[in-house]
Amino acid sequence: MTVPIDQHNEGVKKNVTFRVFRFNPQVDSKPYFDDYTIPVERGITVLRSLNYIKEHIDASVSFRAFCQAGICGSCGMRVNGRSQLACTTQVWDVLARSRDEGIIKVEPLRNLPLIKDLIVDMDPLVDKMKHYSNWIDSTMPEASMGKKEFLISEEEFLRYDKATDCILCASCVSECSILRANKEYVSPAVLLKSYRMNVDSRDSIHGQRLAELVKDHGVWDCTHCYRCQESCVKSIPIMDAIHGIREDAIESRGMKDTSGSKHAEAFMSDIEKKGKLVEATLPIRTNGVVWTLQNLLPMAVKMIMKRRTPPPPPLVKSAKGIKIFREMFREMTEHVKQDHKSHKK
Amino acid sequence: MKRYAYYLSCINESMTKEVDRSIDLWQKDLGIELVKLHEGTCCGGSNLDYVSPKHFALVNARNIALAEKMGLDLIVSCNTCLMTIRSAKKKLDETPALKQEVNEILKKEGLEYRGTSEVRHLLWVLVDDVGLDTIRQKVKVPLKNYRIAPFYGCHILRPSTVLGHDNPLDPTSLDQLIEALGGQTIPYKHKNRCCGFHTLLVAEQESLNVAAEALQEAIQSKADFIVTPCPLCHTSLDGYQAKALKHAGVDTSIPVFHISEMIGLALGYSAKQLGIKRHIVS
Repeated sequence: MTVPIDQHNEGVKKNVTFRVFRFNPQVDSKPYFDDYTIPVERGITVLRSLNYIKEHIDASVSFRAFCQAGICGSCGMRVNGRSQLACTTQVWDVLARSRDEGIIKVEPLRNLPLIKDLIVDMDPLVDKMKHYSNWIDSTMPEASMGKKEFLISEEEFLRYDKATDCILCASCVSECSILRANKEYVSPAVLLKSYRMNVDSRDSIHGQRLAELVKDHGVWDCTHCYRCQESCVKSIPIMDAIHGIREDAIESRGMKDTSGSKHAEAFMSDIEKKGKLVEATLPIRTNGVVWTLQNLLPMAVKMIMKRRTPPPPPLVKSAKGIKIFREMFREMTEHVKQDHKSHKK
Repeated sequence: MKRYAYYLSCINESMTKEVDRSIDLWQKDLGIELVKLHEGTCCGGSNLDYVSPKHFALVNARNIALAEKMGLDLIVSCNTCLMTIRSAKKKLDETPALKQEVNEILKKEGLEYRGTSEVRHLLWVLVDDVGLDTIRQKVKVPLKNYRIAPFYGCHILRPSTVLGHDNPLDPTSLDQLIEALGGQTIPYKHKNRCCGFHTLLVAEQESLNVAAEALQEAIQSKADFIVTPCPLCHTSLDGYQAKALKHAGVDTSIPVFHISEMIGLALGYSAKQLGIKRHIVS
């Protein structure tokens, strides 16, 4: 299917084949791809090309789009395997990196149910935002609302300034390694929103939200793969937000309430004691003896046979110069205590 | 002989001892000398940074300062140690007040973090400093009969603002190394994906699903083995392989090598010398 495109201006054009994912669950037994070849000049976006295809070649191609300016977050899709906004993605830029010359593959976002072609169902994401209370529940009494301003400091605003840039395009959701493994997982976009709400001093349900975030499928299940951050169309440091929730959880709830926080504590205490991680006892310290025996015993036997087991704690050699290292580590602990005191003031 | 400071990763001193053992065998063959930093401490393993950002800065400023004292770049052979130490370096270089606070404490040990030493992965040193031509010339046993799946792992690629050597969407350095050693890289979609290591003790099932996907693609592509520049990825893909594949209903296996072992094999060292027999999957 090849049709000329009217660009209203002169210039060099390249013939580009858009290989578009097609699937209508009401009709098709399985997904397939349709190829549409159109001439495209520099400056044209993937969304504009799709609009052209829909208007002039095949009206049945379905995708979601609205603002065409990278603001509304509607047109998230995978372009040559990468989750991004079709409206801010230049066709020629994609071609320059394309493995198959002249071909751009367009597919729906991953990790969300498919409705039709390039349209995914955002409801599971919205449901999770509801579950994790992704809104501000104001500390201001209702009677005062609308009568006076609710000011926050610039310093506080800067803590979540970046997070407010999120347009819920779900590119990060599509790229998430853990969500791919378990659809129950909270997902990066929801963690980002949760962080943004939890650091806002006007919010009154910080503790309640945090209690939900530390449960199963929550903040501790993130595996630090950084795919969310790398794919963010607004360059938001999403992992900083995820780590921010963890830091807050440790400060507010201590380091004993979840396997995630116990795991993190082990690093801190081992570094202080030996300067080295004591790996042999890490599973027990994270999950207890019973879990460790049930889950890791067969592997431990294999490891013993291969002489691969980490040494027991007494045999883990401390880093050279550990005495002075410890002193310095503890001096920093005093600094941190001081910081917390002045922060509370 | 070009000299570097070599960071000792916790895992390479306990579970994956074969990494440093194999590097020791061939480093001089390739004209490099890695001076081990026995004073170095655990980087925090991508956990200390949120438990206590200031301790994280101190510990890694010290790790880098030890290399700076010798006037050498700091070379790392674990992806997560690489990403972690480089993150700390970025933070220190961008935050003068933090750098000053940390340096006040480091004075106790006669150290100062200046920001003069680079923190680099061994793979980058091999490709950029030793050079692929030199490596090609040193090969005694080309890996020409092997189809190899390159598994880069996350923390040598992402976040790219901290790493920046390879394009995280289409990395090439490991592929280049494989080809220089005479091997054949296979197209492998999971090359820049995750191994699931960091949640193995916290969300085990999710981690095993992540690992199983990477293993299955390599098996279906008829790769002879997977190779990785990260001992943590190795632990997930080799140590947990049986468990991951069993859960996925796959009744086969695939060996996983460290880059240091793959290089050793091509340079003529035996599997026994390189410690390959220590792997769980043989």
